[in-house]
This record gives sequence, C-alpha cells and structure tokens, in this order.
Amino acid sequence: MPGIPTNYFLILSAILFTIGVCGVLTRRNGITIFMSIELMVNAVNLTFVAYARQFHSLHGLIFVFFVMAIAAAEAAVGLAIFIALYHHRDTIDVDEANLMHW
Amino acid sequence: MTWADTLLLLPELIAATGASILLIVPVLGGRARGHMAKWAMLALMAVTALAVIGSTYAVAGVQQTPTFRAMFAVDAFSVFFKLLFVVVIALVTLLSEDFLSEERYSTWEYYSLLAFALCGMMFMASGVSLITIYIGLELLALSSYILAGYYKNHEESTEAAMKYFILGTVSSAILLYGISLIYGVCGSMRLSTIAAALSTMLSNDALMFGIMLLAAGLCFKIAAVPFHVWTPDVYVGAPTPISAFLSTGSKAAAFAVFARVFYVAFPAFHLDWSNVLAAIAALSMIVGNLAAITQTNVKRMLAYSSISHAGYSLLGIIAMNEMGLRGILIYTMVYVFANLGIWATILMLRRHAYAGESVEDFRGLHKRAPFAAFSMVVFLLSLGGIPPTAGFIGKYFLFAAAVQAGFGWLAIVAVVMSAVSMFYYLRLVVAMYLEEGSGAETIYSPSLRFVTALSLTVTLVVGFIPELPIRQVIESSSHLVGRVVQR
Amino acid sequence: MGFYDSGFPILSVITYLPLAGALLMLFINKENTGAIKTFATIVAAVDFVLSVPLWFYFDRKAAGLAMFQFRETASWIPSLGVKYSFGIDGIALLLILLTTMMGLIAVYSSYTAIDHRQKEYYILLLLLQTGMIGVFCALDFFLFYVFWEVMLVPMYFLIGIWGGQRRLYAAIKFFLYTLAGSVVMLLSILALYFFNSSGIPFLNIKGLGNAPSFDVLQFHQIGHLISPQLQFWIFLGFFLGFAIKVPMFPFHTWLPDAHVEAPTAGSVILAAVLLKMGTYGFVRFALPILPDGTRQLMIPIVTLSIIGIIYGALVSLVQKDMKKLVAYSSVSHLGFVMLGMFALNPMGLRGSVLQMINHGISTGALFLLVGIVYEQRHTRLISEYGGLAKQMPMYATLFLIAALSSMGLPALNGFIGEFTILLGVANANIWWAVFAAVGIVLGAAYLLWLYQRVFWGPLDNPANKVLKDVNKRELLTLLPLVACMIWIGIAPAPFFEMIEQPVDYIVQKVDPGYFKRQPVTYPSEAAERAAAVSSALAAIQAEVHR
Repeated sequence: MPGIPTNYFLILSAILFTIGVCGVLTRRNGITIFMSIELMVNAVNLTFVAYARQFHSLHGLIFVFFVMAIAAAEAAVGLAIFIALYHHRDTIDVDEANLMHW
Repeated sequence: MTWADTLLLLPELIAATGASILLIVPVLGGRARGHMAKWAMLALMAVTALAVIGSTYAVAGVQQTPTFRAMFAVDAFSVFFKLLFVVVIALVTLLSEDFLSEERYSTWEYYSLLAFALCGMMFMASGVSLITIYIGLELLALSSYILAGYYKNHEESTEAAMKYFILGTVSSAILLYGISLIYGVCGSMRLSTIAAALSTMLSNDALMFGIMLLAAGLCFKIAAVPFHVWTPDVYVGAPTPISAFLSTGSKAAAFAVFARVFYVAFPAFHLDWSNVLAAIAALSMIVGNLAAITQTNVKRMLAYSSISHAGYSLLGIIAMNEMGLRGILIYTMVYVFANLGIWATILMLRRHAYAGESVEDFRGLHKRAPFAAFSMVVFLLSLGGIPPTAGFIGKYFLFAAAVQAGFGWLAIVAVVMSAVSMFYYLRLVVAMYLEEGSGAETIYSPSLRFVTALSLTVTLVVGFIPELPIRQVIESSSHLVGRVVQR
Repeated sequence: MGFYDSGFPILSVITYLPLAGALLMLFINKENTGAIKTFATIVAAVDFVLSVPLWFYFDRKAAGLAMFQFRETASWIPSLGVKYSFGIDGIALLLILLTTMMGLIAVYSSYTAIDHRQKEYYILLLLLQTGMIGVFCALDFFLFYVFWEVMLVPMYFLIGIWGGQRRLYAAIKFFLYTLAGSVVMLLSILALYFFNSSGIPFLNIKGLGNAPSFDVLQFHQIGHLISPQLQFWIFLGFFLGFAIKVPMFPFHTWLPDAHVEAPTAGSVILAAVLLKMGTYGFVRFALPILPDGTRQLMIPIVTLSIIGIIYGALVSLVQKDMKKLVAYSSVSHLGFVMLGMFALNPMGLRGSVLQMINHGISTGALFLLVGIVYEQRHTRLISEYGGLAKQMPMYATLFLIAALSSMGLPALNGFIGEFTILLGVANANIWWAVFAAVGIVLGAAYLLWLYQRVFWGPLDNPANKVLKDVNKRELLTLLPLVACMIWIGIAPAPFFEMIEQPVDYIVQKVDPGYFKRQPVTYPSEAAERAAAVSSALAAIQAEVHR
C-alpha cells in the first residue's frame, strides 16, 4: 500500500483514545469531560477511516458519518443536561455532584 | 431496498413515525390535552405490536430475512424481544401516568422519548450488523439520558442524568473502539461475516482487545460489575417509572444484543473470552447481592439486585450452549415482569407526595393493600428464584447451562448468591407482613393495578405451566443455536 | 373404596386438598374466626381420613420398583423431560400418614394459641401441608424440588408472624439455611440430569445420552454407572441440602432458634415432619442413587451423627428453656436416625425409618405439651415451674409418657426404634453402638431431670397454682399420639412389615453384595453383641424388660 502504513494511524488513534480516557478520568469540569469523550469518539473515527482505506471498503467511512451524527446528538443532549444542572447549583463540576454517593 | 424490505421494517417505521407525531402534537396545540397522550401512546404500542406480529407472517417459514445489505434481520429471536419491548414500554406508559399528572411535566415529549427508545431497542434486537446495533443502542441511550433527567426541577434527577450521560457516552466510545478493532481484524461489521472470518483465524491480540472492549461497552448497558457504578445513582435519581424502564426494557435490549453478537459472531473464540466474562459474572453476582443487603432505599436495593441479575444472565452467554441462550431469553422475560411488578408497587406508595422509597414505607402493607403485598411477595420470590414462580424456571435454565458447559464453580457462586439474595428480598416481605406500624400511604390507581395483575399472571403462569413459554423460547432461539460450536 | 386400587389419583387428592381448602378459605370473612377454625379442621381431618386407607390398600409384599404404588404420571414440562410423577413406597406412606395426622393435630391445637391474623395462619398451615405431602409423594426430581422449596415460604411466615420475641431472626435464619442447602442440592440434581441425558460431555464426563428425564426411579437404575469421583461431589451437594434440613451437627444452629420462636403448631410440624424431609431425602435419593458416594462419605457422616447424638444430649442437659431442651433433643435423636441409616444394613435402616416416625410422634407430643403450659404462663423457663404434678395430674401423666417414649423406654415406641438402630449399628461397628448408647443414657438423664424439676418438688410458685389441667381439646390432640406411642411400642410388626421391602431395596442399591454375603437372618454373633449392648443400656435405665 502506498503512503503512510495503516499501523501509524492506529497508533495515533490509540494515543488519542488514551488521552481522551485520561481526560475523562482526571478532569472535573463537565464540559471538559465531554470534550475528552468527543476525543475518544474521534480517535475511533480515525481507526475506522484507516481501516476503510486499507480494505478499500466504504463500510468504515459510512460508519464514521453515523458516528459523527450521533456525536452531534450526544452533544445536544449532554449540553442540555449540563445547563439543567447549572440551573440547580451554578456549577458543572462533577465533584459537586454528590447528592447521591457515586 | 424494495417494498418487501420496507415491510419488514414496518414496526420500527411505525414506532419512529409515532414518536415524531407525539413530539409534534404539543406544538400543534395539543399541549392542553395531556391526558390524551397516554392513550395515544398505548394505541401506538398496539399498532407496533400488530406490525411486529405481522412481520412474522411476512417471514413465515424462513429462518432469517436479512435486508438492507444484511444489516437488519427479522427472525424469531428479534420478534420475541420486540414483543417483549412493546409490552414493557406499554407497561411503563401505564406506570408513568400518575407520575406525570402529579409532577405536571409535559406528557407528549415524555412518551415520544419512550417511543424513540422503543425504536432503538427494536433496532438492537434486529441488528445483524454492528452498525445497526450501535445506532439502535445510541438511540436508546440518548432517549434514556433525557428521560433520566426528566424531573428537571429536581436536583437528583438532573444529577442522575449527568452521571448516566457521562458514563454512558464513555462506555459507548469504548464499545465503538471495540467495534473498530473487530472491523479491522475481520474486514466487516456483519455478524455472520465476522463469524466466518474468525472461524479460519487464530486468536490475536487486536481481536481479543476488540471483543473485550465490545463486551465492556455492553456490560455497561446491562450494569455488570465493574461497569455498574452508574446504576444505583441513576435508579434513585431518575423518575421512578424511568428507573423501571432502565432496569427492564433497556437491560433486556442490551441482553438481546449481547446474546446475538456473542452467539453469532464469536463462538469460535469462546474459550478465550468466556473466562473473562465468567469473572465479570461472578463479580456482579457477589458485589450486587452483598451491596444490596445493606441498602435501606428500595430503589437502590433494586439497582444492586439488577446488577446481580445481570451476573446471572451472563451465565447464559458464558455457557454458549442451547440451554444458555434459552436461559437468557426466558430469564429476561421473567425478570422483566417481576421487576415491573415491583416498581408498580413502589409507585403506589406515597410519602409526603413522593414515591415511597425506603423499606419502612412498606410496613404493614398487607393491611392497606393486600393484593399488592401478596403480588410483591410473588415477585420477590421470583427474583430470588424460588419455585413455583417464574424466576425458578429462568434460573434453572441458566444454572443448568453453566453446569453443562463445565462452569461448575460459577454455578456454585450463582446458587449461593441467589440464596444470599433472598436475605434482602425477605426484608421487604418482613416489612410488609411481619412488622406492624404505618408505612407510606397508598394510591393504587387502576393502571398500577393492571400492571401488577399482568406481571403477577405472567410470573405465576410461567412458574406453573412453563411448557408453553419454554417452547416459544426454543423456537425463538433455535436458529442462533445452530451456529453454536458444540464442544 | 374402589378409589385406592383403580388408578384414581388419590395421592394428588391428598396433596392438593389442603391447597384447595386454603384457597376456599380466602372467601371466608376474616372476622369469622369460628368458621375459619372449623373449616381448616375439617379440611385437615378429611385429608387425614383420606390418607388412612392407603395403609390398608398398600401392597407390602411388592418388591423392586413395584413397591412404588399409587403411581400417577402425567406430562408437565416435556421439553425439559419433567414429569408430574407421584408414587409412594412404605417409607413415604408412613411419613404421609404422619404428616396428615400431625397436620390435623397442628390445626386443632392452635385454636386458642393463635389470637391474631387467624385466617392467614390457617391458610399457611394448609399450604404447608400441601408442600410436605408433595415432597413425600414426588418421584420426579424437578417436582420434588418444587415442593421442597414451596414448603419453605409458609413455614417462614408461620415463624415470622406468630413466633416469639426473636421471630424475625429465627424465620430468616431458617429460610436462608434451608435455601442455601437446597440450591446446592439443585446443582447435584442438574449433574444427575446431565449425566443421564446429555449426549455431549459435560464437566469432561461422557453422559449416557438417554432421553431427558428427572425420573427418580430411572436415576436409581443408572446411579451406579456414575464414576465414584463424580458421585462424591453429587453426594456432597445432596448432603448439604439434606443435612441442613435434618439437621446434622454442625448445620443444626438454625433449629433451636426456629423451634423456640415458632408457635406451638409450627414447632410440632417442624419437628414431626420437616426434619424428616432431610432424612427421607437421604433414604430416597442420596443412598440408592449414589452408592459409591455414600460409602466414601460414610465415616464422616457417622462421625457427625455420633457427635450430634452426644452434643445434642449434652446441650439439652444444660438448657433452661423447656422448648429449647426439646429442640436440642431433636438434634440428638436425628443423630440416631442418621447413624442407623449409615450403618447401611437392613437392621439399621429399619430402625432409622421407624425412628423417624417415632421422633415425629414423641417430639411432636412434647412440643404440644410445652405449648399447653406456655399458653397459660407465657414462659418456658424450667425454673418457673415445679410441683406441677399436683396441680395438673393429667398433664403430668401425659408428659411422663411422652418423655419416656422419647428417651426410649421399653414398651414404648422410642425403645423399638433405638434398639433396632443399635442392633444394626453394632452389626456394622460395635464402637459406634457404644457411643450411641452413651447418647441414650444422656437422653434419659436430661428428660428425667426436666421432669423432676417441672413436676416434682414443692408447688411454690404462686403463678403455678392457677394452672388448669389439660382441657378436652388438648387431650384430643394428645391421645392419638399417646396411642401411637403404645401401639408402636407393643406391636411394631406392621410397621416393620411396611418398610421391609423399601429398606431391602435401598440396601441392595447401596451395597449390592450385602444379601449375598449375609443371609437375611442376622449372624448370631452380631445379634449377641447387639443384645449385650441393649441389655447394658436397659440395666442403666433400670427398667429391664426381657
């Protein structure tokens, strides 16, 4: 296969995914956590695209479009939930979310 | 895509269209007629159920009809689950009536979201490609996040929605990563193609990693340890009918996917993944049951109980034999009805206008509502797996599957833990029958009564005359079992 | 009565009549306690009357599988191979008669003892009766398991609602202990099922590939084909289920709590019937199906039985509470039953089966008697009583008969059972018999000492001076039991005749060479040894009847 080997993309996406996971685990601000999750999802998109290129198959590419659409829907729902939470307590720090024990 | 294809998709189309209509009605001036929403929803459920049954006639005699480039299939397995989902959503609709009228939240959007969730669940049951399954799962998840936060004026509900949302999206990202790796190894996302590719393949790290990530994502949905942390908080914070929905419908859908994906796509590597899942199952049973013992909030107790039941059901996947798949189907059904009955009883209890949630609220219930108390005992016995209730039949299948597959140690954990579970189920019985004193007041509406009666009937009928449901389950699962590698 | 020999499902009728009665009782107004009591008594009485002719129509001579009579077979869950299969041999027949009799007595004895939630009480008693009879009738493992567990629920409520101070604790302990044992037993049943029916190997063992079935009698036929190692594990599962129920030392800790807290009728049923379900489980399932497993675990079980006999007796000696004393004496007596059973010879098994019945009668009577004074004084502390013989002469007499029967005085039933057990045990190993004899001596000690403290001495507690002697109803509940004690004590032959074939069948299964090695009449040497032991104990009892 000409150009960059697929493995490079996979390693990059694995690194991105890990960064995303770390962000979810360490950040306390709801929005930042959500951004980290988006990073995870997009890392996966990269994997799909890389494999689709390797296989010369459309399936992976099409799936990426679905994933992007779903991520957008997730963003809408997520931000709405964060706004509702902000109304209650003027913060979206997840550590403050302790009405029930985690 | 042909007209025939569309016909097979009819139940999903109806659910999606119905959901959209329900969403538009308030905009068109229907907001004032909130009480109509329930009937519209029930009518929608009835039509969907008819369409599901109709679709079976369209495929009569054919084992499976993959359509849309083999991404979506109508088969006996999916029909079984779809009917179960429709019934669950209809019962959740009935459970929601009082909650909605008391809390003065918009009814139309609420039911619309439930209908969208149903649509997602049906796609999950019919999906034979990981794409379809993922999209169905997300449709269900997105609707559930909103529904969990539907009590938006209550801080707990919003907080529950936030937790559910964060952990849910993380888990679906993990699931997605698993899908991408499996796609990379097998070159396809179609379950049957994956199975064919794997049957000629040796075990490799990328594949195992992919399967594990996929399993982790699904374990989140069924609330298995260690992916269970969201469950207690969400069940407590969410509106009670939604907790009922999450613990029954959403879980059943996840199990439909779990069963289909693992039975169809991964039997070749059964030896590799079964031990990991066995550890997850054992942990779920142990942690769920032990944690439930210390709970005083009934919703929280049910959350831990549902974690333990995820562990029991996993036995059916780990066993990877006929008995196991049948066990998953029958246990899911049995569990769903017993749980809905219990939630109905919780919903009828009121303490200072809030749903009765603590064990004390059940005190002396046998005097105030003898029928509810009696049914509650039957449901709890069913969850504990005591004959002659349906729960015993379900557990019988799962335990037998584990013994047959050689997972003797897991079967021992399972039976011991199911004895332990009676300890906290009996706490409610103690409160209802053995302790005097006043618990919460009761408001037993006809809808709740109907849900209880129906669940009671199913629980007892399956317990006493199990032959019919067993035969149905055998029919609904036989075409998947054919693929199981007999070891 | 063509019913009993014409294929009429008489066992089902006897089993479900109490259930039907319980359902009908739902329609009686709960305020109308008189009607409730009468109705429950009628149902229990009809059930008893229906079960009596079984005794006469039962063919005692039928051997082998034919000894299972009054068979009923119907399909229940064909896709699992589960059949609705009923049938009884002599052992089950005696236990069913005991159950219906004790059931009637339990209902009749509760008239005044239960003063709240009476309707629920009688409904639960009747439900319990259905469960118990079903356990003894079932010849299909699945069905057996269903009845076995079903019976837990009513008993749980009986202890939990009408029990004493610590009733909740006792009820939950009873429920969980028994449940824990029976779920493990379920695994053993599954292992048997797969061994019989599975064409594919399970647990690395090749199954027989028969049609799926839970038929107990079929398992009797194939049991010996199971490898000794697997038999060991399967037996262990059964052992846990049954030993907890018996209860054998060290699984007995639920028993004193359950007995002390349960209402009188609950204790009577618990002692008379529920405990027998454990021992019955051993003779019906564990022994004949798993001969190798039985022999491998014989020594540990015998050891536990002997510990149970002596431990139970010693603990009884130091009890301050009458009911607790009787409860611990059950541990001791059931140890005898288990010991006789695991002598694995016809004599020991015969004694063991007869002693099951005897224990039901004697201990049931003792619990009833304790209940009578408890109802008047609301205490069971031995120190609260003294000199009752003067105040309640009739009561004292009945108590004496029951106590003597329980301690094994000749001419009463306990002697026959214990003597036969000792004969059988001595035949197997003389030292076991010696240890068991110590238990008998201790048994005499704690019962006589109890009697002395409660009935003799000065009547110095003023509260006891107003105690009323047994009334007519109480007398009616006790007389049948006393009659049975004397009947079995004087003329045990019909009972031995009833259990002879089943016992030979079990011995044949568990030790196929037994009857080839030994003629059916016992070697004189063993008989002499046994006679020596019995004469020694008879001398100790100072009641020599030769």
